[in-house]
Parts: sequence; C-alpha cells; structure tokens
Amino acid sequence: MLNVRLAQRSPIPLDVELQCGPGELLALVGPSGSGKTSVLRAIAGLMPVLGGRVAIDDEVWLDSAQRVDVPAEKRPAGMVFQHYALFPHLSALANVSLALPHGARPETALRLLGDMQLDGLAGRRPHELSGGQRQRVALARALARSPKLLLLDEAFSAVDQPTRQALYDELVKLRERVGIPIVMVTHDLREARLLADRLCILEGGATLQDGPPEYVLSRPRNAHVAALVGLRDIHSGIFHRSADAKSPARLRWGDGEGIDLATVDKGRIDDGTPVRWVIAGEYVHLHLEAPGGVNVVACVIERAHRLGDITTLACRSIAPPHALVHVEVTTRQAREGAMVAQRAVFLRLDPEGIHIMPTRARDA
Amino acid sequence: MDWQSLRLSLWLAVATGLVLVPTGVLVGRWLARSSHPLKPVAEATLALPLILPPTVLGYYLLVALGGQSPVGQLYVSLVGHPLAFSFGGLLVASVIFNIPFAWIPTQRAFEAIPADLYDAARSCGLSRWRTLWRIELPLAWRGILSGLIMTIAHTLGEFGVVLMVGGSIPGETKTIAISIYDRVQAFDLQAAGSMSAILLVASLATLLATVWLTRTRPSVRSS
Repeated sequence: MLNVRLAQRSPIPLDVELQCGPGELLALVGPSGSGKTSVLRAIAGLMPVLGGRVAIDDEVWLDSAQRVDVPAEKRPAGMVFQHYALFPHLSALANVSLALPHGARPETALRLLGDMQLDGLAGRRPHELSGGQRQRVALARALARSPKLLLLDEAFSAVDQPTRQALYDELVKLRERVGIPIVMVTHDLREARLLADRLCILEGGATLQDGPPEYVLSRPRNAHVAALVGLRDIHSGIFHRSADAKSPARLRWGDGEGIDLATVDKGRIDDGTPVRWVIAGEYVHLHLEAPGGVNVVACVIERAHRLGDITTLACRSIAPPHALVHVEVTTRQAREGAMVAQRAVFLRLDPEGIHIMPTRARDA
Repeated sequence: MDWQSLRLSLWLAVATGLVLVPTGVLVGRWLARSSHPLKPVAEATLALPLILPPTVLGYYLLVALGGQSPVGQLYVSLVGHPLAFSFGGLLVASVIFNIPFAWIPTQRAFEAIPADLYDAARSCGLSRWRTLWRIELPLAWRGILSGLIMTIAHTLGEFGVVLMVGGSIPGETKTIAISIYDRVQAFDLQAAGSMSAILLVASLATLLATVWLTRTRPSVRSS
C-alpha cells in the first residue's frame, strides 16, 4: 500500500494525501499547473519536498519529520515519462538492461521486452521505433528494477488514438501481472475513467476530491470540482427540505421562477439554501412522448451534434429557467427517433441522480 | 623548417587539452545544470579570453605568474625556477587562454541533454557516476571532442600570449607561431612558408572536423 502525504507552501505549494493499494490504479487528474506531475515527481524522489511522508508498505522513502529522504535512485519505483525519456544512444535492450538491479540475469531484459511484444526489436535504438514501441520499451525499463510502485506521467499522451487503445489493453494486462500500486497522471478524463480504480482531482497542488471515477463524476464535491471533471451542465436552484419523512425534498430549478424537482433529502442542507446541482448522464432519461412519474421536463432540442457513433443533444427546458441539459444518445437512436433541432422531447431526471452541492467552490 | 618548435607546439597543445578536457567536463557539466545567480558572471569571466587582446591577457598572466607575485614565489619555492619564461608558465597561459575554446562546446553539449534523461537515469537506479559514464559522456562526446580539437588548433596558432609569457627560448618556450615570426624577421621566407602551410592545413582540418562533428550529430531527443 502506497501512502503519500505532501504538505508544503514553497517552492511548489502541495497539500495532498493519497493512498494506492497493490494492483490498484490511481489517476491524478487536474488542469495544467494543478501540480499532478509534481506529486508524481515527489513520490519518485525527483523533486525535493520540505514537508511530507511517502511510504510503501513498511518502507519509508520520505519523512520530513524524521529527516528521512531516500534518493530517487534508491527508491524502487518504475517511472514512465511523458516523452518516454529513453536513452537515445542505447538500443531498446540496453535501455532496459541499464535499469536492471545488480546481479540480475541479462536475459531478464529480453524477457521484459518479450512481455511487451517487442521481440525482434531489442537491437533498435529509440529513433528506429514507433511511438507505441517506444512507450513499451519505457514500460519494460520501468519494470526492470522489479519496482514496488509504477508511476506513469501522461504516458499515453504522445501516441495516436489506435496505438493508445492498444496501450490501454497492455496496461490492463500489466496490472494483472505485476500487482503493484500504479499512480498515473493524466489530463484526459476519459482515459482516467477508463483505466483508473480511483481518481484524485487536484488543483493548485491540493486534493479537491478522490474516489472511484463513477462516484467523483456523479457526485462532485462542489461546483468547482464538477467543472474540473468536465461536467457541462452545472445548474443552480433553491433547496427545500422534505415536509415529512415520507415525502421527497424539493429542488426549485433556477434562481427565481423555475421547475420543481423531487430530490433526496440527506438532511445536510438547510431549507431555502441556494445550491448548485448536477446530474450524471445515466440518470437522465430521454423520451419522445411524455412519460409518467416525477421530474419530467418538457424540452426542445436546440442542437444535435454528431460525433461518430455518439450524438449529443442540447435540450433546453421550455418552462423557466430555460436551462440546457446535454444528453448523449447513440447516433442510430438519434436517427431513428428523428432527434434533430427544434424537435420536442421529454427528459425524466431520476431523483436519485440529482447531486446537490454547496454554492461556494471550496465548501464541503 | 623548425621541427623543435613544431614538437614543442604539439606537446603544448596536447598538454593543454589533457588539462582542459577533464576540467571542462566538470565545469561545463556544472554550468549546464546550474541555476546559480552568479552563473552569468562565471560564464562571462570564462569567455573573456575570446575578446581580450592577447597582449593584455599575456601582460596580466606575466604579472600574475612573475617572480614578484605570490603564485610565482610559491612556484619558485616548490620547483626552484620561475614560472614565467618556462614551459610550465607557457602551459598555464595556454590553459587559461584556451578555456572558452574547450569549455564552451562542452557546456553546450551537456546543455543539449534533455532534463528528463537525468530523471530517467535516476529512476533507473543509476548513480551519478554511472549516469556520467553511461548517459552523459556518450551523449556529450561530440561537444567535448569539438572543444579539444579547437583547443589544439588554437594553441598551435597562438602568438601574442605565448610571446608575452614565454618569450622565445628555443626548446623551452619557442612555439611554431613564434618561429614563423622569427623566420620572417630573418627573411627566411621558405621556412616561414612551409611552417605557415602546416598551420593552415591544421586550421582547415580543425574547421572541417568541427563542421563534421556538428553536422552528423544525431537527435538527442528520443521522440
């Protein structure tokens, strides 16, 4: 289990606490300059940290209180860099061999390259390899030290989409094989959602929220996190508590005149509180005819944006607050349902999926 | 043809290179990676011999190495003869006026190594010494060699500083450049011409070698 706590004000402000278990993949996500690469470098020992503790199992790599700071070259952590950082004058085999610990059998490097489907390419130098092959060499090199931890710094950002897909598959297989904590830095939420067991949202060097991807994406801690994780529809409203235990709470959608939505009262928000709220796509149901039940909102499709197999419909509520809700459907569904601009549709918002957040960004 | 002066010049050039290459690796590597606030001052000082008139540099060296100076007195107490007007003094002067020719290409070569390769070396578990031998020197050798070639060529042709610090003592401080001057003064244009031709060919070969080293430089970045 990797345990990390970083707390310093300068030179780079960091306020991060994270854990990653064996075989688990933790994605550090955040905008540019959010400090995610700094966190990774601090874990690897490539960046001096004034305050914090980094330990894996019972091995302490950094403990500023105890003045422990194991140098990077002595921390058994494999790292894959954004541009791979392969040694350009060395062959793929030599790149991997160089990272083997003292006393390791030379054929280990060949086996590692073989595990990465690089048989026959051992003698090639980095400039003679494709982007995907270089990435595999970098992974093989990172594993050569039999690391206790694998760190991936935007490792998939420099390859084209088909190669990236193949590398995702490779990483999934690798996770099963090595069973060590993997910490991955990415700015690509889709990638994080696809690969990670847990997300850690960072901004300004501080953890804003962490948890399983589906949880963070459907239950962002606040409107700021919701915006950071790319949720497009962040609505405002006024929360009204349940009149009694049996009836649901009421959410007045909009700042003044608006639609009343039924929602769940968790007893944490006072009556009449202005709130921001989001709803994950899986809780929004689109109907061509008016369905029964609660939270049915009549809308008009304002735009239909086709992107391959997926079509995104921008639906605006007919009644105030005239808010936009983006709904993704398959392009086939859109075609068969004639879901084009100006078409009237009905959205049913599942009360379970309505996630209410405090209005102030740093709350909660 | 003054073979003795040519031999002396070649020996001086090799000795200067032997001093400046290892020190250049240390200093050039440090300068390449340092962000010390005084780094620009250090760089400007080391580059001074490039623009300082050789006679000015020679004068200061003569003063610094002469019998009245602490360095000169220390040298006399250790070796028994003064540093000025000796091969030792000539070597010290040659080392100082060649610093920019040897160290600047070396520094540039280390600067061209991407920072992430240093991080990669550390995360591969390489010690600093192993990183130097296995990563940095193989990537920087062209710059280091280029500096060495420039140093040798420049030493062979240097006149002003050598004359100021070394005088013209045959077999001790009389280099080929001074010998050419002497031959011209003595109207022995044939000997001056053949020695000049040697220096011309050496200079041309140096420039060709430098061009070749910089042109065939492979991409340091792997991607």
